[in-house]
Amino acid sequence: MSRLIDEPVKVHQNNDSMITAFIWRKRLYRVLDVVGWWREPSEWWNGKSMRLFIRVNAQNSGTGTYELYKLGVQWFLSRVLD
Amino acid sequence: MGFIHLHVHSQYSFLDGASSLDELLDKAVSLRMPALALTDHNRLTGVIRFYGKARAAGIKPIIGAELDLASGYHLTLLCKNADGYSNLCQLITQAHLSNLDRKPEATREMLRNHSNGLIALSGCSKGEIPTFVAEGKYDKAREAACFYRDVFGKDFFIELIRYPSREGGSDSYRLASFAKEDNLPVVATNNVHYAEIKEYRIKELLNAIDRIIPASQLEGYRTVEQYLKSQQEMMKLFRDLPEAIKNTGEIASRCNLEMDLGKPRFPKFDIPEGESDYSYLRKIAFVGAGRKYGLLSASIKSRLEHELDTINKLGFCSYFLVVWDIVRWAKSRDIRCQARGSAVDSLVVYALDISNVDPVEYNLLFERFMHPLRYEPPDIDLDVDRRRRDEVRDYIYQKYGAENVACVGTINTYMARGAIRDIGKALQIPKSIIEEACQGIHWLSASELMEYADTLPELKHSTVYKKEELADFFKLCTAIDGFPKHLSVHLGGLLIGNGKLSDLVPLEWSGGGDIISQYDKDDIERLGIVKLDLLSLPTLTVIEDTLSNIKQSRRIDIDIEKTPRNDPSAFGILRDGKTIGTFQLESPAQREMAGRLLPDRFEDIIVSISLVRPGPLKSNMDKDYLPRRHGQQPVKYLHPKLNNALDETLGVILYQEQVLKVAHDLAGMSYAEADGFRRAMTHERTEEEMEGMRDSFISRAVGDGIGKNIAEKVFEQLAAFAAYGFCKGHACAYAITAYQTLWLKSHYPAEFLAAVLSNQPMGYYPSRVLVAEAKRFGVEVLPPDINKSSEQYTVEKGAIRVSLKQLKGMSEKALESILSARAEHKFTSLRDFVLRTDVSQPILENLVKVGAFDSLDNQHDLLLQLPKLSELKHKIIKDNQGYSITLRRCCTQSRYSYGFPYL
Repeated sequence: MSRLIDEPVKVHQNNDSMITAFIWRKRLYRVLDVVGWWREPSEWWNGKSMRLFIRVNAQNSGTGTYELYKLGVQWFLSRVLD
Repeated sequence: MGFIHLHVHSQYSFLDGASSLDELLDKAVSLRMPALALTDHNRLTGVIRFYGKARAAGIKPIIGAELDLASGYHLTLLCKNADGYSNLCQLITQAHLSNLDRKPEATREMLRNHSNGLIALSGCSKGEIPTFVAEGKYDKAREAACFYRDVFGKDFFIELIRYPSREGGSDSYRLASFAKEDNLPVVATNNVHYAEIKEYRIKELLNAIDRIIPASQLEGYRTVEQYLKSQQEMMKLFRDLPEAIKNTGEIASRCNLEMDLGKPRFPKFDIPEGESDYSYLRKIAFVGAGRKYGLLSASIKSRLEHELDTINKLGFCSYFLVVWDIVRWAKSRDIRCQARGSAVDSLVVYALDISNVDPVEYNLLFERFMHPLRYEPPDIDLDVDRRRRDEVRDYIYQKYGAENVACVGTINTYMARGAIRDIGKALQIPKSIIEEACQGIHWLSASELMEYADTLPELKHSTVYKKEELADFFKLCTAIDGFPKHLSVHLGGLLIGNGKLSDLVPLEWSGGGDIISQYDKDDIERLGIVKLDLLSLPTLTVIEDTLSNIKQSRRIDIDIEKTPRNDPSAFGILRDGKTIGTFQLESPAQREMAGRLLPDRFEDIIVSISLVRPGPLKSNMDKDYLPRRHGQQPVKYLHPKLNNALDETLGVILYQEQVLKVAHDLAGMSYAEADGFRRAMTHERTEEEMEGMRDSFISRAVGDGIGKNIAEKVFEQLAAFAAYGFCKGHACAYAITAYQTLWLKSHYPAEFLAAVLSNQPMGYYPSRVLVAEAKRFGVEVLPPDINKSSEQYTVEKGAIRVSLKQLKGMSEKALESILSARAEHKFTSLRDFVLRTDVSQPILENLVKVGAFDSLDNQHDLLLQLPKLSELKHKIIKDNQGYSITLRRCCTQSRYSYGFPYL
């Protein structure tokens, strides 16, 4: 099960461009590991770009799995997996 | 060897692959790939050029295809060797030709019969085994695996494709488990459809065009992952299955196809016992020359020997015999058939009666046609009477066997208009914008479109190209510029194999129902297969029809080939610009040239045909030549050694053959070398290459005692001319046909113009201009007459009778009905006509209105009779409903039984 979120998040990356943490709704989520990544085709006929998705395990008060994607320079939290 | 891509589609997977061969190979080179496969959908169209390009790039080419099976599944096949290539050609051919729906489908039986030398991979997600495994139907997957293992043995592999996705590529993992359980070897591929990731949009766009749906409605699985990935990316994806990566190298090492390109593969010609191809060709060439020249002079003998020797050394004897036989057969059935192009430069071609141009008389050079340094199959193009071309084609099929003959395919590619229309539909651009964008660009490529949008008069006022919101749309149009769209029949091209064609060339159906090669003419040439261009020339039909008209109207038999080529009346109408309807000399530009050139000898026609083309006129060649021709300017040569080459054109270079002579006389090149020099200058070349040619020419000329200044000037002239030169042999062949039409028009204008009118559409002018031209020649044009007009225009006492075919709405069926009824006896009245023919009311009305019945009755009265006749006709049809008898038969049986008043 997952919850669709699709909200902008602020992402922290290390020198290797790896995501180390992200801030969502003013709360910090520390990335524990990257579970997977993929790219999804866009509605290019409407001028939209391809999206890069990343699925991470991250920790706030508890541990959860989160899907983030990047559109242009902005990162979004796509969904939260139970 | 690390990872090798074994499943790759190029743009030759029509409307599915988004990258050209160059783009794929460039990427493979940049990724340091040692080998690359090409596996387009159901065709090998790209493989010959892929093979050459890959070799040149230092990449091992692996040839294959992704085949559609009768069961609807896909299968990837790769050639291990020549046997495999031949089997793949046959599989593809059978898959295409056996299916009446024209969707290729290979059956299991075909696979079983043609598996030798092939490696099979289980295919993409549409493969048989991957589909069954994904559906959980393991028993069926096992049965299929058994079949493929039985057919391909150790050359069968389970193909694993992994695209990172939200779902995590579970199908690929399931397939890998299935392979492990069943002990089947696995191999990793990426089912590549484009070189770079960004091109996924182009692939999707092409798919939308192919399915005729908007891109936004593309259904099914979408991915951006089908790009040419690096070895590292692929290894990462398959880190749990290193053997899938390793097996790509293993398969690549098993694929060692050597394509024997360039080797002539001419059909075997049946020669009399005890003769070889060469001895027989020599014999018939000498006999033919004897017939043409009588006693052969030493120079003719020596030229014949030289040409025959060259033909023999190049291994082309059987080709000449094949063409000789075809022309001989056509002529024996009175089908006009003659060579055009550079083949006319050959004395052997003339002696064999393939051409009617005497190369000795017109000083033509054999080396322009062929020589030992030019190792390409010779190309003899034949012009054939348009009406009877199919008879010649049928003879070739019958003589060499239907399995050994096919039409040459040609690849239709996207130009600007096609791209705008197709992409416009896929992106749902409003029709009005598409129509506006398509206006005035029929000859432009999409990439030229934006370049010319501001400068071309036709486009300058159009606003669509400047609209910002359409910028992306036009970019997409440019992106598919030159993409292959479909195969069609090459105009006139036939290929004849030296055995079953499908062993070497994959074949398929054309849209029109012809069997065509999947290779285009250039690839056919690279393969060394005989290609023969049988071109329909309507002028030859006109000549034939004119001679037949003359025979009918005047009872005179004319041998047009024997008419003298210095007839004053023929040149008279040429000088007066009265050439409408003639071959090559009727255009406004030609008529204007005739007024300036004032031709009075046959050579003037050759000059005129060579001069009136955009290049020579743009470079003012006419302004150099004409004053010299009329003695208004002295004829000067830069060096006396140029006299021999340029004497015939008064010091001006007009013909390609003259370039050879100049290079030979001035720079001491052999004619063969000189032709290489001419070709190099004609083709696209870099500045460095041009400099190299200049240095070589000048140094050789200086070595031969020519001053450097003069050598430089001559080279400049040759370089300027190179782009515009015309083959004199070709001009001669056309000049003869042009002269014949001039001669016929000047002596028999009614018969000639009737023939031209009957063969419309052809030439520059519509029928109304030709009718006006007839009147200018004092020829009356008579209206159609129901008892006198025929299917074609005819000549009646020096006047032209309009044919019945010209009537608006006239159908073939109606025409046939009229002519066959009239053959029994002439029509006596409109009623008689109605009762004896099957002609619809609108055609009947038109016939009356154009005066076709005027010889029988008053037109006004006839029009009044029509409604009653119409009633009569309907009653007859009604009474005979349910019986399959024609109206005509029924009327004949019961014409008086209805009690209608006799009209």
